[in-house]
Amino acid sequence: MLTPMNTEALDAGTTRRWGVLVVEDDSRARAFFEASVQRSPHLFWLGSAGTVQEALTWLAQTATIPDVLLVDLGMPDGSGLDVIREAVARFPGCEPLVISVFGDEENVLSSIEAGAVGYIHKDAAPEDIAQTIVEMKAGASPISPMIARRVLAKYRSLQLAGAPTAVAAPEAAAESAAPSLLSAREHEVLTLIARGFSYAEIARLKGLSVHTVQTHIKNLYGKLAVHSKSEAVFEATRLGLLSHPG
Amino acid sequence: MWLALVVVAAAAAPAENPIELWRGTVTTTIDAVTHKAPVELSYHWDRQHAGRPGLADFELPFTLAGEPSTPWGIFIPRAGNVLEVRLNDALLQAYGDLARGNGADYAKAPTYVPVPGHLLKAGDNRLQIRIRADSARRAGLSRVTIGPAMPVRTELFESAYAWRFTGSVLLTAFSLIVGGIALALWLTQVDADANGRRRRDGIYFWAALAEFCWALRVADGVIAEPPLSWGLWGVFMATCYAGWAASAMMFCYHLAGWDGNPRMRWLRWPMATVVAGTFASSAMALHLEQPYWLTGWLALEIVFVALFVGAFAVATFKRPSLSRLLVAAAALVTLGFGTRDWLVIRLSDAYGETTWVRYSSVFFGIALLLIVLRRFRAASIEARGWVATLAERVAQRERELASTFAALEQVARDQARTHERERILRDMHDGVGSHISSAIRQLQSGQASSDELLRTLRDSLDKLKLSIDSIHLPPGDVGALLAALRYRLEPRLAAAGIAFEWAVDEVPAVKRLDAQGMRQLQFLLFEAISNVLQHAHATTLRIEAENVAGAVQLRVIDDGRGFDALRVPRALSERAAAVGTRLALESRAGRTVVQLDFG
Repeated sequence: MLTPMNTEALDAGTTRRWGVLVVEDDSRARAFFEASVQRSPHLFWLGSAGTVQEALTWLAQTATIPDVLLVDLGMPDGSGLDVIREAVARFPGCEPLVISVFGDEENVLSSIEAGAVGYIHKDAAPEDIAQTIVEMKAGASPISPMIARRVLAKYRSLQLAGAPTAVAAPEAAAESAAPSLLSAREHEVLTLIARGFSYAEIARLKGLSVHTVQTHIKNLYGKLAVHSKSEAVFEATRLGLLSHPG
Repeated sequence: MWLALVVVAAAAAPAENPIELWRGTVTTTIDAVTHKAPVELSYHWDRQHAGRPGLADFELPFTLAGEPSTPWGIFIPRAGNVLEVRLNDALLQAYGDLARGNGADYAKAPTYVPVPGHLLKAGDNRLQIRIRADSARRAGLSRVTIGPAMPVRTELFESAYAWRFTGSVLLTAFSLIVGGIALALWLTQVDADANGRRRRDGIYFWAALAEFCWALRVADGVIAEPPLSWGLWGVFMATCYAGWAASAMMFCYHLAGWDGNPRMRWLRWPMATVVAGTFASSAMALHLEQPYWLTGWLALEIVFVALFVGAFAVATFKRPSLSRLLVAAAALVTLGFGTRDWLVIRLSDAYGETTWVRYSSVFFGIALLLIVLRRFRAASIEARGWVATLAERVAQRERELASTFAALEQVARDQARTHERERILRDMHDGVGSHISSAIRQLQSGQASSDELLRTLRDSLDKLKLSIDSIHLPPGDVGALLAALRYRLEPRLAAAGIAFEWAVDEVPAVKRLDAQGMRQLQFLLFEAISNVLQHAHATTLRIEAENVAGAVQLRVIDDGRGFDALRVPRALSERAAAVGTRLALESRAGRTVVQLDFG
């Protein structure tokens, strides 16, 4: 789902510029991101929002589709996760990045499940920020060993839970998501990341290009987001919040 | 039926009807004195001869209109003690040895003798029955019926046989079963009394004894040839009868609760006397050949039993219960039957009657069974109550345990929270706190460069990130710890122009590293890498991890200028001691190794 668009972005990457929207309540951080974006020849500044409400309003009214969304999770009037969900639902081509101080597992994983494709460290250097965005549009996706470990653990538990629950329809939906969650290659790459290897080292070990490794990770992000949706449907059905589709 | 078949003897009868023979002559021989006289049956020997033993020849003539065309037979309800049956001088059957007295007793069961066809002739015929009578053994001859086998055999004989013989077998079996049950209960139902002594329930013992005595007494009805001579056997049977009466009274005595009442204890003595007296009087009666000794004694006994049953009935009406009412009814019926039997058997001239008491004794058996069943039911209800109480107590205990457990869990949670709080405080103190304070000192001194200040702050932030990572690190997973460390620190190494080499094998978990140990190891490695960053002027940093003979070995290697390996940096040695790992340093220009062994 994300891959064709990424290929397109890769082809056009050298010629086109990406529009960036920033959702961040700290005005100094906003100014810092704006400066970083303005300085990059590959990016242009779409605007910024200081609250979730502002961001949602902006998304509802904009005429320009944002290519990139930088979102801080801790907003004064809610969670940046809502903005990510809204943006992804409204503009499938929009790729959100989470602004995180620590890049910690909890926040990053929930952002990925909401539809984010990566995260930016708040303490990164200005040029690193622009570069991360451009690389992301070119197909890269940062993932930490801690997150890789968590994804693997989740995959294992899904496999264990998926095996004996092939009876009811909602369970079948969850099950169909589980095997396709990770291909063998993705599993391999993820395992090496969890053990601390860099993309370049993995590419060398496995005889792949760095770009392929990055694509695997980015695909994985998309799958995690899709999976988290079907999981939510399954959970909701199980709890009786949604009526059974059949 | 019986009455319809009665035809006056000696009268000419149609050939096919049974004839009852009751008139003829008898020739008796007692003490070698022979006496001949006309007789009308029944003939009750003891009543005629006051218990003297002797011999008697009965001649019973009858007339037939013609020779019978069907098989005939003779039905003798009661005759004995031993006898011979002849028809027209031909011996048909001998029961026992007429030459010997005090042996067999064939009077107990009814007799049927088939008549060979040619013996009966038209006109006068003669049935001769010769008996030998023992003293006080209910010897004699009842009325005799001769006629076609059907109905004489099929109806008269077989129904009498069923009542007398089969009835005795069934009654014996019933008494043995009830007695067996009572004995088993007496043997197995052992309670401890208030003083802790084991005691059995007397009611079962007396019931068992009564039933066993009675079984013996009734079984006598089917034993034609007893193992003892009549004198001893007669005493034994009379004693059994008295034993049954006394045991049944003891049963009532326990049932009425008199065993617990000192004022009623004396009752046991007359009961023992009943047995002893019966033994003595029957021995006297048989030895002296004077049956009235026993008859007289039995009269006394009946008076005593009547008084006892009366007392028991009164006690029952004062404190009624189903068991007592049943037993009182059985006792009253038995008393009535016993009195009737005494009158009929011991006093009247009636011959051929059976006792009625043998049937009323069944009531006692049934009453005992009911009592046992009721007691069993009460016991099982009680047991169910105990089970319910126990279950309630267990549930109560479980609730208590659950609440205790919840309290303990709360304590454990509080403790875990306290530990966590202490850990965070320690981290803040060692990490962010110390870094911020050194940044402040650097600023205040005015001598630090902004690079130095930046490094201090970056250290602070990196340590904070490592702290956050460590929250999720599985205890003992050194691989995960190294991966996180690399992820956090590599950007700074890259920024400092230091190449990074990663030679980390998959290593097993180090069991002794708990959450705190993981934190210490993280800081130790951070310290080592930090030293390389700040002081070593290295171009390459290599991290190695391998499994050496089951032990994890970590190495941080740089190609910097080295330092005096004898002066181990305190931060490193302290952390290594806290982790419990062996720290080895090796340093020269171009190669410095910090090695940790988890052996």
